[in-house]
Amino acid sequence: MNDLPRRITMREWDDRYADLRARGLREADYGGPLRRHVDDGDDRRLLCLQLDNSPAALRLWNFLLTEEDRLGQAESQGKKLVGTMKDLGTVPVMAYALPNLVAFYPDGAWWLPCLMEDRTNLLAIADSLGIDESFCPVRAMLGAFVTRAHFPIPGMLTCSVGATCDDFSAIAQRLSGMGHDVLWWEMPHRRPPEPGEPSVALPGGFVAPASQVEFVRRELQRVGEALAAYAGRPLTDDMLAVGICRANCFRRELGQLRQLVFAAPAAPLPALEMLIAEMLAVHFCSDQDEALEVVRSLRAEAADRVAKGVGVLSPRAVRVYWVNPVADLRAMNLLEDLGGRVCGSEYLFCHAIEPIPEDLEPLEALARAALADPMVGSPADRAQRIAREIAVIGAEALVISRIPGASHCAWEGSIIGAVVRQRCGIPVLEIEVPPITDSIEPSLRTRLEALLETAQENRG
Amino acid sequence: MTTVAYCHPLVPPEWIAAHGLQPQWLQPKRSPTAAQGAVRGACAYAGAVVDAADRGLAAAGLVLTTVCDQMRYAAAVIDRQGRQPVFLFNVPATWQTAAARQLYLDELRRLGRFLVQLGGKSPSAEELVGRMQTFAAARAALLAARDRLSPRQLAAALARLRSADLGIDGSMTSAFPFPGGMPSRGVAAGRHVSDHVEHAHPALRVVRACHPPPSPSRAPRSGRLPQGAREVVPLAIVGGPLVEKDFDLFDLVGGCGGRVVLDATEGGTRMLPAAFNPERMAEDPLAELARAYFEGTPDVFRRPNDALFTWLERELAERGVRGLLFRRYVWCDLWHAELHRFRQWSPVPLLEIDVHHDDQGAGPRIAGRVEAFLEMLQ
Repeated sequence: MNDLPRRITMREWDDRYADLRARGLREADYGGPLRRHVDDGDDRRLLCLQLDNSPAALRLWNFLLTEEDRLGQAESQGKKLVGTMKDLGTVPVMAYALPNLVAFYPDGAWWLPCLMEDRTNLLAIADSLGIDESFCPVRAMLGAFVTRAHFPIPGMLTCSVGATCDDFSAIAQRLSGMGHDVLWWEMPHRRPPEPGEPSVALPGGFVAPASQVEFVRRELQRVGEALAAYAGRPLTDDMLAVGICRANCFRRELGQLRQLVFAAPAAPLPALEMLIAEMLAVHFCSDQDEALEVVRSLRAEAADRVAKGVGVLSPRAVRVYWVNPVADLRAMNLLEDLGGRVCGSEYLFCHAIEPIPEDLEPLEALARAALADPMVGSPADRAQRIAREIAVIGAEALVISRIPGASHCAWEGSIIGAVVRQRCGIPVLEIEVPPITDSIEPSLRTRLEALLETAQENRG
Repeated sequence: MTTVAYCHPLVPPEWIAAHGLQPQWLQPKRSPTAAQGAVRGACAYAGAVVDAADRGLAAAGLVLTTVCDQMRYAAAVIDRQGRQPVFLFNVPATWQTAAARQLYLDELRRLGRFLVQLGGKSPSAEELVGRMQTFAAARAALLAARDRLSPRQLAAALARLRSADLGIDGSMTSAFPFPGGMPSRGVAAGRHVSDHVEHAHPALRVVRACHPPPSPSRAPRSGRLPQGAREVVPLAIVGGPLVEKDFDLFDLVGGCGGRVVLDATEGGTRMLPAAFNPERMAEDPLAELARAYFEGTPDVFRRPNDALFTWLERELAERGVRGLLFRRYVWCDLWHAELHRFRQWSPVPLLEIDVHHDDQGAGPRIAGRVEAFLEMLQ
């Protein structure tokens, strides 16, 4: 069988898997053919996707799509589950510092309507509870709490509020109103320091007043005390320091993978697999050690392909910077089908990718990491950061992907677009990607084609 | 006098006035460009604020808050317009911790520095106390007179109070829309601190943390008319901010045989601060100002927001409300998400009024719904 890197369909993966097995493929305990996620898990969207044909990608998909089993196993082994909502990357680092806790994001349910092509009934349940399509697809989380079918109901829930999107805050409040006890913690709007005010550089380049860092540090201390009480054991600074180191192992590995893939002349891995890999940074898909191994496999695969001078896309593909995650994974395929490639990304959680400072008191370091969330500051700051990255990596076009109903998406696009046009002089396109794009694919295709053609013309 | 515009009741006008600046309660008008934003999911109210700022405010600065995410983003848009300095006031969503309360107080101090940059003068404690007394007296007098005012008059008076025309004597007489002014007019002009706080002034004794309405003997409750007269149905309205044109809704309700006896919208009595405690005010007026505002205003954005329901439960009963108008902007997630909970919770029938960018005050669609609702209740 041809081992050249390619994006292949599920049908092709059936043969590919059989071939790999015949050739001695060794898998983790959650391994197996991807087809089972369609047949047993009803993840029918996989049938519409083009997936990378490497064993590393197989491992990635299997790891992602078995999280529910993993959570169930953890619970049966006596571990305690923590649902960490909204902060995207900080509280899980604290939770995993306690050996008997497993953290996950119920927010992740937002992809279920896509993966299961809306056969989950989750959106219909959300509708019935008054959370209709005017809200972000994360409303699927509400349905998942009702059905209890997609993740175990955790014994503890945390949620960051304040400078967060209204959709999530409102839905989390509904969960609270339905009787789920939520530990709310405050994330202030990150503001520029006043003249002469002590300030702190944050991971990723943002700056915040020292007083805000101290405020968040105290909030995280409150969260840490609650986690320790829930775990039934103390959470010491030493434990947190170890937890930060472990998180950083993953973040550095992921950082190297991104650098390798985005800088390569021909993309060694597709955008879809890269998006999933980045998502692992948020909570390690409920297994920190294995998440690290999954990303290591991807990096090894990418490095091998780069060394051989091969990739999954043409070296002539237009280099696109992509902003915001897509509700329908198919959109990432579509860009590549049309001659684009993702060479830089900001999927709302770049703070979960940046290493956490290890030379600081742990809670201070975590507070800085949390405040580096691009969504808690001004969208103008976020836009400047994106423009800086675009300049460094030489992107030729920008796609701002709107999440339907998300409160921030009504506003941020105009600011990010204006800043990038002004600073980088590249074409910018805003698109809206619903959980299933089939009905709008022709218009999405047309708009993306126009963007890519414009970028190609700019090459001169 | 230099004017500072703001549009959320958690920004204390006392604090702006104490800096020698004129607070201006912004009441934006709906606009066509807001309609464009609505296509993308922008709240019509936030869009109207952006448009108002883009057209140019007669103000040296604009204060917005973080209580809703759309306004947080709107602040960034206005800041980029560059027409006037924008101050984004960070109001914590949580309220249970001393840290959250301290953050609000710190934000007041930061706002003070912004006001000084605009030309204001940092007030002495005595000056702040004076302003707090004046506003407290005006609020108390207004609350005492609420049943003698039409709902539109009350809403307009609250809006005017929030942008008080602080004359030489600081009497804020322009806030009162009815002949003869308020009984407390003279009080506000010249009496002592103790006359304006909860322990001393009779009208203020009842204005506790959540300022329940005046006693039944003070004024006839709406809807309690003499025998034989057509029954007037007392209603409450709850929701986000209203613009001036939206006050038509009060007239519409009146024309359909009802009366809004409880305005629990963002600009209504629900969001008035708690009464000031005289001892704490004497000791640390800014801290007391922060306490009264931050702890005394039950709103939907709080996490958790149960205090909103507790407050409403008491107020609906106190004011004999028989129907609830739930008014929300189509893209306002904070209120929209609570609608289902309100339906389950409300002790009285509830009518949803969803407001689009092109709904002017009380258009035919809204009028038809309100009319049917009141017919059902009569």
